[in-house]
Amino acid sequence: MAAPMMVCIPGKKICRAGDKYVPGAGTFLRNGFIHSSLVGVVKESTDEKNVKTISVVGKENNSIIPYIDAIVIARVTNVNPRFCKCEILSVGKHNLQDAYRGMIRKEDVRALERDRIEMHKCFRPGDIIAARVMSLGDAQSYLLTTAENELGVVSALSESGVPMVPVTWCKMQCPKTLTEEFRKVAKVQPEFIKFSHS
Amino acid sequence: MAAPIGRIVLPGDTFSFEQLQPPDEHKKILLGPGLREEKAEIKVLRPGILRFRKPAVYWIDCHHKRYIPAKGDSVIGIVNQKVGDIFRVDIGSSEQASLSYLSFEGSTKRNRPDVKVGDIVYSKLLVANKDMEPEIVCIDSYGRSSGMGVIRNGGFLFHTSLNLARKLLNPQCTLLKCLGNRFQFEISVGVNGRVWVKAGNDVQTIALVNSVIVSEFKDNDQIKEMCKRISKAVVRMEID
Repeated sequence: MAAPMMVCIPGKKICRAGDKYVPGAGTFLRNGFIHSSLVGVVKESTDEKNVKTISVVGKENNSIIPYIDAIVIARVTNVNPRFCKCEILSVGKHNLQDAYRGMIRKEDVRALERDRIEMHKCFRPGDIIAARVMSLGDAQSYLLTTAENELGVVSALSESGVPMVPVTWCKMQCPKTLTEEFRKVAKVQPEFIKFSHS
Repeated sequence: MAAPIGRIVLPGDTFSFEQLQPPDEHKKILLGPGLREEKAEIKVLRPGILRFRKPAVYWIDCHHKRYIPAKGDSVIGIVNQKVGDIFRVDIGSSEQASLSYLSFEGSTKRNRPDVKVGDIVYSKLLVANKDMEPEIVCIDSYGRSSGMGVIRNGGFLFHTSLNLARKLLNPQCTLLKCLGNRFQFEISVGVNGRVWVKAGNDVQTIALVNSVIVSEFKDNDQIKEMCKRISKAVVRMEID
């Protein structure tokens, strides 16, 4: 099947939809026709029932966006008494090329005692956190939550600029000055930790 | 070579541990504001005079007007805005502080406190760190106001340097003792450099304000002289 490669841009009509042609990823259905929604190359894949799925494949990394219930890694940018804003760096195992914005509300930081939370004792700007996407949020940012034991601050720097070591679920300690700072610490499963031997 | 105690130092000057070793062989040195330990030496962060106190405390006395919020400080703020449940109060720091309407004595959701935009509040800092906006309250941990709250009924609010505010808060302040012997007045000093004065009439209030501002660089004898002259001048003005 040496069909020529069909390059398309968003909106381009690919073919008429019917029993034999089904829209796949990167396409949408309009007025009975399959249109492309990405910049890329058209790919056909055939089922056992001879049904062809038309999909458009763009750049490799384009297809990853945070979806509901995904575990994301984010960096905290702004802390407020009511919520904290962060930059989503990766979704699951895939790193994102452009950072999306996320927001964690005060009520979604912990599962217990949700109204007596002090945000400056949970997160600080610069912390790396593991969170779960709760909803697609508004036009500004995704809505994230850390209300689980395995979610929260994964890595943070202390006041003296040294990475801190977790002590309890709410405290981390600086190895240089031995001062303890408050954070909502994530209980990362040991098999996900890669120790650096220096 | 010993450290230059009582001399002016500039940011960037460094000392080694041996230079700062106090005479009576204490192993631990306490570094106060303006000094910081970096690798194997001690760096100066602020321009000022290096001070020392026994047993082994070093710090830099620096003249500054810009207030940096610290937890527990009592400050005077000006209410700028009312946004929903909180007031935005200007305390002279880089960000405006937030004051919740529930942080006044006897205030509940139904019984709101009588605070308007432009009011002066004497309050305490509850939350102050470099990552977040500061938060102030007009209530102590037992729920009582203990002197905090809106300052009413006139008076005059002015802004001084932080060093003068700390001098006025000293229990042995010569200026306030001398003025208290000659005038009747109320004074409220915030650690953020804001001072509120109220005396019997306008002439006395202005005279007190001027004497506080001018006393910053005077020593105790000059202050006593100045108080005598000011009280004579006020009496003459009131007769006219």
